[in-house]
Amino acid sequence: MPGKSRRDFLKSSALIGAGITGLSSSSAKATPKNILSPDRMGVLVDTTVCVGCRNCEWACKDAHGLPAGDLESYENRKILEQKRRPDPSALTVINEYSPGKYSNLPVDVKVQCMHCDHPACVSACIVGAFTKEENGSVIWDTGKCIGCRYCMVACPFQIPTFEYDKAINPLITKCDFCFDRTKEGKLPACVDICPVEALTYGPRMELVMIARDRIRRNPDRYINHIFGEAEVGGTSWLYLASKDFNDLGFPELGKDPAPGVSESIQHGIFAYFVPPASLYALLGGMMWLSKRRKELEQEEKI
Amino acid sequence: MKKIFALLLIFLITSTVTAQMKLGKEHSKLNISCQTCHTCEVPTKNDPCLVVCPREKMVTIYQKPEETPELIVIDQLKDRYGPVYFSHRLHAQMSEMSGGCGGCHHFNTTGPILNCNSCHETSRKRNDVSVPDLKGAYHRQCMDCHREWSHSTACNSCHLPIKEVKGTEKEQIAQRLKGRAHPVVLEPVKILYRTESDKGKLVTFYHDDHTKKFNLDCISCHKQESCSSCHDVNKKSSDSKTKVSDASKSKLSFEVQHKNCISCHKDDNCTRCHSDKELMPFDHQRSTGWTLKTYHAKLTCQNCHGSKIPFAKIDKNCISCHKDWDNETFNHAVTGLKLDELHSELGCDDCHADNNYAIKPACDNCHDDLSYPKDLPGKLIRK
Ligand code: SF4
Ligand code: SF4
Ligand code: SF4
Repeated sequence: MPGKSRRDFLKSSALIGAGITGLSSSSAKATPKNILSPDRMGVLVDTTVCVGCRNCEWACKDAHGLPAGDLESYENRKILEQKRRPDPSALTVINEYSPGKYSNLPVDVKVQCMHCDHPACVSACIVGAFTKEENGSVIWDTGKCIGCRYCMVACPFQIPTFEYDKAINPLITKCDFCFDRTKEGKLPACVDICPVEALTYGPRMELVMIARDRIRRNPDRYINHIFGEAEVGGTSWLYLASKDFNDLGFPELGKDPAPGVSESIQHGIFAYFVPPASLYALLGGMMWLSKRRKELEQEEKI
Repeated sequence: MKKIFALLLIFLITSTVTAQMKLGKEHSKLNISCQTCHTCEVPTKNDPCLVVCPREKMVTIYQKPEETPELIVIDQLKDRYGPVYFSHRLHAQMSEMSGGCGGCHHFNTTGPILNCNSCHETSRKRNDVSVPDLKGAYHRQCMDCHREWSHSTACNSCHLPIKEVKGTEKEQIAQRLKGRAHPVVLEPVKILYRTESDKGKLVTFYHDDHTKKFNLDCISCHKQESCSSCHDVNKKSSDSKTKVSDASKSKLSFEVQHKNCISCHKDDNCTRCHSDKELMPFDHQRSTGWTLKTYHAKLTCQNCHGSKIPFAKIDKNCISCHKDWDNETFNHAVTGLKLDELHSELGCDDCHADNNYAIKPACDNCHDDLSYPKDLPGKLIRK
């Protein structure tokens, strides 16, 4: 049974890892975190409904203590002439593209973390600062983050960004799916403010059904593709559109989780690492492990 | 937890059923298949076995815009902004050309007009997220058109920020809307469509002929117009009576582009409209061979051809239309020939055989040696 032997190997590599940092092996067992819950939440972004009002940008900043300015100042649509990326000052941005098949109006696309079901950032984070929570959110612990920026490189959507302009204690930032709000039973700030409910918050499974139903009932309005249903193994944020996603700034991605994401890391082997003093020794060890793992996977496939 | 969910579900189901039960008593007589809404053979009040909303084919409400409320205050969702004062009647008038009442009152069954919140829940955090919540539903309806012509998503185009609300807005707006109707739409005289057709690259469409002469309603053609085809802040209003439209760049299919014309011009071939040069407007003489003179020129097409479109051909016999004409009721002088006393006693078909006025009148019924027009039965008062 190759699967079993692989798991055994991974267990032992976890032990090696634990040994390096001097933690007891008992803390390396699987936790409720990093396990995909069937009830995980998601957001269905219907780009044929979004009017590009950027209220969500404002609400997101407002909810995260970032300088947000007046809501009225977001009415200026000039800013949409350039394509923007989320950054430490704005965890979500709206980009505007030429009209799709459905209307003569431009298509507006909200960009933020996709909250992948198999997040590359979680896998890449060598100190286990990143976690996939039960409600679908992919969040990170700033206390654990050592600023190595592996997550930035690993993310297939180039979402995590680094506070480059901060001299003291620069941090990784990204959309946290409003984890603090949803914990209290509130909606994510962007979902809450959206005037047209272009953002539908609900159980991901249900959202997939709703999205399929919308496509079935309005074949003229939508292309037959739910972005995020299958991409990189599925994402919590799902998109509907009236034109090809490649023309809307989405990367072309396969159905497999991003390279480097493996079951082992999902199961939280590294979740309890403490930033070690001898970081480089650890990095070396990790890279060796990762390399070995890939070799092993190769062998398994053969 | 499961129990609460089940209870909620029952509550939801019963509340939707009660909303649907407000149907008119007569709804079974409507010209709709029962299966559109019911899944069982014999639906009863207790078990209506309704299919899941939305039932696309069930939109049956219609009201004349003039009979609808002038002003509606939308104030169920006050938060950052004050209520919206919606000029319902003006919008109803405009909707005549863009899908009618059903554009907003979609999925309304027969019977009373349902409130938006009978289907769209007021809370965004809810169990059934397959239908937009009330805030989403309102904004989608309004912004779909408004941003198309204003190119803006500014909240203050409809809302007053809550801190600026004085409470006197409703009276002011009601005053302003009182008796206000949508202004008359400016029509072009003709539209030149540039096409790629090998039957002729130019289609000349005389818009005013169709509306004024043939009396077509706007909505005979303009059924699904987007608001921005009239309203657009960037559109320069042009006084030009001729509009040029590049039909070759249109995204519409051949069928859709021809649909409106074909509904009347069924029997015409391509060159009726397609030509390489601009065509002349409608001319009764050229198209039918019948010149409209002094009296007939004053009539509308419907006066002779009836109101059914396309117009039926009619024959040239005067009495086909003027059924009550005889020697007493018809003043022959209008033809330019005033009959003398003797001849004005005669019946029309004494001279006009078989009441056919297209051929030469005959004198030989009475006179062997006289003939028209050499000899006249009266006096020529006009050539
Ligand atoms: S608030 Fe909603 S409509 Fe406005 S830009 Fe964001 S997603 Fe689009
Ligand atoms: S989009 Fe990037 S940052 Fe977000 S969960 Fe996926 S891999 Fe992580
Ligand atoms: S979910 Fe929260 S953090 Fe993410 S984009 Fe929306 S408001 Fe911002």
